[in-house]
Amino acid sequence: MTRPRGEIMARERMGGYWRIRIRVPGWRSGVAGQFAMLQPARPGVFLTRALSLHEQRGEDVSFLVAPIGEGTQDLCRCRGGEVVWVLGPLGRGFPLDEAFQSGGRVVVVAGGVGIAPFPPVLEGLLGLGLGSSVPDAGAAADQIARERPDLLCLLGFRDAAQAEAASVLDRGVVSLQAAGWRTRVELATEDAGAGHAGLVTDLVAEMLMPGDRLLVCGPERMCRAVWALCHRRPQVRAWFSLETKMACGFGSCHGCVVPLADGGLVPVCRRGPVFAGEEVFGPAAGGGDAP
Amino acid sequence: MSARTKRIEGAAADASVELGPLRLAHPLINASGTLDLFEAAQALGPGFLEDPPVACYVPKTVTLLPRRGNEPPRILETAAGMLNAIGLPNDGVEAFVAQELPRLLGLPRPLLLNVGGFSAEDYVVMAEILRAALDRHAGGGAKGWRSRVGLEMNISCPNVHSGCLSIGTSPEETTAAVAGVRRVWPGFLVAKLTPNVTDIVPVARAAEAAGADALSLVNTFKGMALDRATLLPYLGNVTGGLSGPAVKPLALRFVYEVYEAVSVPLIGMGGVSVVQDVLDFMACGARVVAVGAAGFADPWLPAKLADGLRTELASRGWTVGDLVGRAHK
Repeated sequence: MTRPRGEIMARERMGGYWRIRIRVPGWRSGVAGQFAMLQPARPGVFLTRALSLHEQRGEDVSFLVAPIGEGTQDLCRCRGGEVVWVLGPLGRGFPLDEAFQSGGRVVVVAGGVGIAPFPPVLEGLLGLGLGSSVPDAGAAADQIARERPDLLCLLGFRDAAQAEAASVLDRGVVSLQAAGWRTRVELATEDAGAGHAGLVTDLVAEMLMPGDRLLVCGPERMCRAVWALCHRRPQVRAWFSLETKMACGFGSCHGCVVPLADGGLVPVCRRGPVFAGEEVFGPAAGGGDAP
Repeated sequence: MSARTKRIEGAAADASVELGPLRLAHPLINASGTLDLFEAAQALGPGFLEDPPVACYVPKTVTLLPRRGNEPPRILETAAGMLNAIGLPNDGVEAFVAQELPRLLGLPRPLLLNVGGFSAEDYVVMAEILRAALDRHAGGGAKGWRSRVGLEMNISCPNVHSGCLSIGTSPEETTAAVAGVRRVWPGFLVAKLTPNVTDIVPVARAAEAAGADALSLVNTFKGMALDRATLLPYLGNVTGGLSGPAVKPLALRFVYEVYEAVSVPLIGMGGVSVVQDVLDFMACGARVVAVGAAGFADPWLPAKLADGLRTELASRGWTVGDLVGRAHK
């Protein structure tokens, strides 16, 4: 076995980010929330970079990359035909079954490039098939809401240019609607360029309902703020995709640890990157029913 | 020093080497703490256990008592390398013996168990515990574990606040720790030295005189980095160990100097990432070469470098013995 490599098939600007599609011979499809370690084959940065799986079509896997540091800038400079090392899929993704079986709404909360793991989340929800069981039209509205969960996507960006990246969810939303889901997408931008003027957490505070199941990815401050809001509603659960610097991504370096609420330190690459809110941020949401 | 080797006609040269009683199919191993074969197998596939990419496996450092490790952040990429301040997290030697050792002994490779201590006595106690466990698990006779298991003393970790590094910077403390272990450890014994000294030769000579069968050099170079925005120390531990290609010329110098000063075999490491690095370390005197941080990006790298070494040897018509120490001729 040697290091898996891929070839850049396409690269396009997506709001403030780059969407990079790579053909990786032998790619094993991963689940929503998993990640891969990427590095251009040409000389450049020393370590690979951890990026969420953004789209998968057979051996073509895409990543949404914010050119923030040297490693991500390096990746965004890669042109079609260039070779990239791609190690993955790695880690544990979103527990879509668990998030879904409760019957509560699924609420996607993304901050900036934190939108990256959500196209596979929407695909995964569609794959669960639960949206296709159209309830009795005569049932009470609250029963409809319980048996046919809505999908609410709350997407925060710095400005309108970045917010163009919200379109990466379009296809998934349309597919879910076709399967009978009621969906709603709301934007927030800090510069008031699109949607709500302010933070995505404002939208969370306004729209969070009892029983909601949140799937969250974004800056740490946003994640902590979202978890704090979860305390204000009963029976809310939330899962967070965390970001840390990783050297290896497969459990060797012990560099990517995060503190858990119980005081332990665990590697994000193997125990995460997706964690239940109570695991990382402490005692559970209001209502006191979370484990 | 002569590595026992055979000259073989044909495309792929024999690159096998011996480290005392340990027979290695080639000179490429991993540096302690940079490759977890069991985690890699779970994440990347069973090949890491069935046919590990190293000729000898070095697990991460075990300490007498469990350690949590340092607070994050623990790593940062730097120019041509990385800083780490992991802090030797592990479950302690008793848990290691109960949970890790059995599965390690099931690997199809020789082992260099790695221990870190905070006093000479720590190392001695751990060596005794490991010896007793190995006698139980694998038999202690001439054909028992001694031909498959050696012990590497990490007297050089820069990321713990006492012990390790201070032992490895002092010839006297090195003598005490190595001689103590030598009295209780009948197997192959390696001392892993630190580059964070003015002169490594007195420490290397002390380790050899105290009974080390080989020396590993070098551990990481103590360094630090700041957070770009706040200009505060980036690492949770403030300082860390620098590794990667940035340190290779520094590490090479230590191997070159120590080769001239001792007669035991050397395990060279520091920024190894391409075949030329392997040739350089071996020419400076390393019989065995360890891949460290470069294995984070490519965990298959040691096997790839071994193939490259065989090709180089074949194309030059050399044996491993021709290569090791060549820079001194």
